[in-house]
Amino acid sequence: MLEIRNLHATIAGKEILKGINLHIGAGETHAIMGPNGAGKSTLSAVLAGNPAYTVTEGEVIFRGKNLLRMAPEVRAREGLFLSFQYPVEIPGVSMTNFMRAAVNAKREHEGKPALNAGEFLKLMRAKRALVELDNKLAGRSVNEGFSGGEKKRNEIFQMAMLEPCLSILDETDSGLDIDALRIVAEGVNKLHNETNATIVITHYQRLLDYIVPDYVHILADGQIVRTGGKELALELEQTGYAGLGKSE
Amino acid sequence: MNDVIIHKGEKKHLIITHVADDSAQWRIRQEADSVLTVHLFCLEADAGTTGDVLLDIEQIGGHAETYIYGLGILTGKQRIGVRTHVKHSVPDGKSNQLLKFAVRDEAQGAFIGELIVAPHAQHTEAMQTNRNVLLSPTATMHTQPQLEIYADDVKCSHGATTGQIDESALFYMQQRGIAPEEARRLLLAAFFHDVLTTLNEPEVEDRLQRKIADRLG
Ligand SMILES: Nc1ncnc2c1ncn2[C@@H]1O[C@H](COP(=O)(O)OP(=O)(O)OP(=O)(O)O)[C@@H](O)[C@H]1O
Ligand SMILES: [Mg+2]
Repeated sequence: MLEIRNLHATIAGKEILKGINLHIGAGETHAIMGPNGAGKSTLSAVLAGNPAYTVTEGEVIFRGKNLLRMAPEVRAREGLFLSFQYPVEIPGVSMTNFMRAAVNAKREHEGKPALNAGEFLKLMRAKRALVELDNKLAGRSVNEGFSGGEKKRNEIFQMAMLEPCLSILDETDSGLDIDALRIVAEGVNKLHNETNATIVITHYQRLLDYIVPDYVHILADGQIVRTGGKELALELEQTGYAGLGKSE
Repeated sequence: MNDVIIHKGEKKHLIITHVADDSAQWRIRQEADSVLTVHLFCLEADAGTTGDVLLDIEQIGGHAETYIYGLGILTGKQRIGVRTHVKHSVPDGKSNQLLKFAVRDEAQGAFIGELIVAPHAQHTEAMQTNRNVLLSPTATMHTQPQLEIYADDVKCSHGATTGQIDESALFYMQQRGIAPEEARRLLLAAFFHDVLTTLNEPEVEDRLQRKIADRLG
C-alpha cells in the first residue's frame, strides 16, 4: 500500500523529517505517536502534497506508483485521504457543492460517470448517518463556524464519502467529546477492510482502545525511534516520552 | 455622459454590463423618496480592453436611497477603473455600495469611491465596501476610498481590502481530489456570492455564475 524510504523534508529551510522509513500493508492500521513538534503533521502534509514543504531526499511508493510526483489532487483521487489536524473553513462554499466536486473528480479519475443529483444526495444521507453528522451541518459552508468536534466529525464524514485506500487521521480525536469519539471511531472501523489501510496520529491511548492498531510507531525529532505492537502505546502512557530515553 | 433624473418617489434599476471604451458614464440626480439600484458587471472578455466607469450620483431630495452593487473579473491586459461619486446633499438619505473585483494576469483594476455627506445632510446612512482578490503576482488593484463627511449626526462606514486566494483552502480542496482550477472557481463563486444575491433573481444569478466561471476558464 505505502512504502516510505528515507524521507527527508524541510519547511522554510528547516529540516523537520530526518529520514522516515515506514511500510504499510493493505488491511493494516498504524498508530503514530510522539511529542509535540516531532513532525507528525509534517509527515501527513508531505504525503498529501502540501506545497509548503520540500522533500529533499527519499521516496514514497503508493500502490506501486511514485507518490511524490503526483499533484495533491491526483494523490487524493488515487485514494489518499488526510483528516486534517486543523480542518480549514471555506466560507461561501457549501458542503454539498464541495463534496459533489470531490466525489465526481474521483469518479472521473476512475472512469466512472458523475453521480446525478438524486444519487449524490442519497450517498450524502447514507454517509452522514455513519458518523451521525447533523443535517444542518451538511447544509452549511465547509467547516464555517463548526465547533472543533464538529469539524473532526466532518472530516470522517468526508472520508466515508470518498472511501479512500489510505486514510491518515491527524489527531482526529482531539476536540471530540466521549460520545463523539466513540461514534467517529466506530465510523472509522466500519470503513476499514482488508483492502485499505489507516494511519492514526494521536497523543492518547484512549483512541487506540477503539481503533486498535497493528503497529505503533514513535516519531521523535523527525525520525521513527521505536516501533512496536499496541502495547507500546500502553507503555508510553506509563512512562511518557522521557521514559523511552529518546526525546524531550 | 448619460444624464438621468429620478423623480420623486420613483424606483430605477440600472444594470451595466458594457464598460469598455468609457461607455459607462452616468450622472444621476435623485429627487426625494427615490430609489436607485445599480448593478455593475465588468465581465467583458476582450483582453486589452480599457474602460472607465463613472457613477456620479447626487441625492437632491430627502429620504432617497442609493444602492450600488458591482463585480468584475479582469484578465489579460485589461485596465478597468470604476469611480463612484455618491453625494448626500440633503438629510435622511441612505446609500450602500458593495464592489468586488478579481484581477488576474497583468490586468489592472482601480476603484475610487468618493462619498460626500454635505453639512446639512443629517441622519445620512452611508456604507461603502470594496473587496478584491489578486489571482496572480502581476495583477494589480488600486483602491481609494475617499470619505468627506461634513455633517455630524450620521452613520457612515467603509472598508477596503485586497488579498489573495486562501492557499490553505485551496490545498484542503485539492486534498479532496478537486483540481486547483475548479477549487479556484468555487472559491471565487463564494467570493462574489453576496453581490449576486442582491439581484434577487436566481435565474440571472445562475447565468452570471456561469459567465464568471467562463471568464476564469
Ligand atoms: N513554517 C514553518 N517554519 C518553521 N518551522 C515550522 C513551520 N511549520 C512547522 N514548523 C515546525 O515543524 C515542526 C514539526 O511540526 P509538526 O506540526 O509536524 O509537529 P507535530 O508532531 O504534528 O506536533 P503536534 O503534536 O503538536 O501536532 C515544529 O517544530 C514546527 O514548529
Ligand atoms: Mg500535529
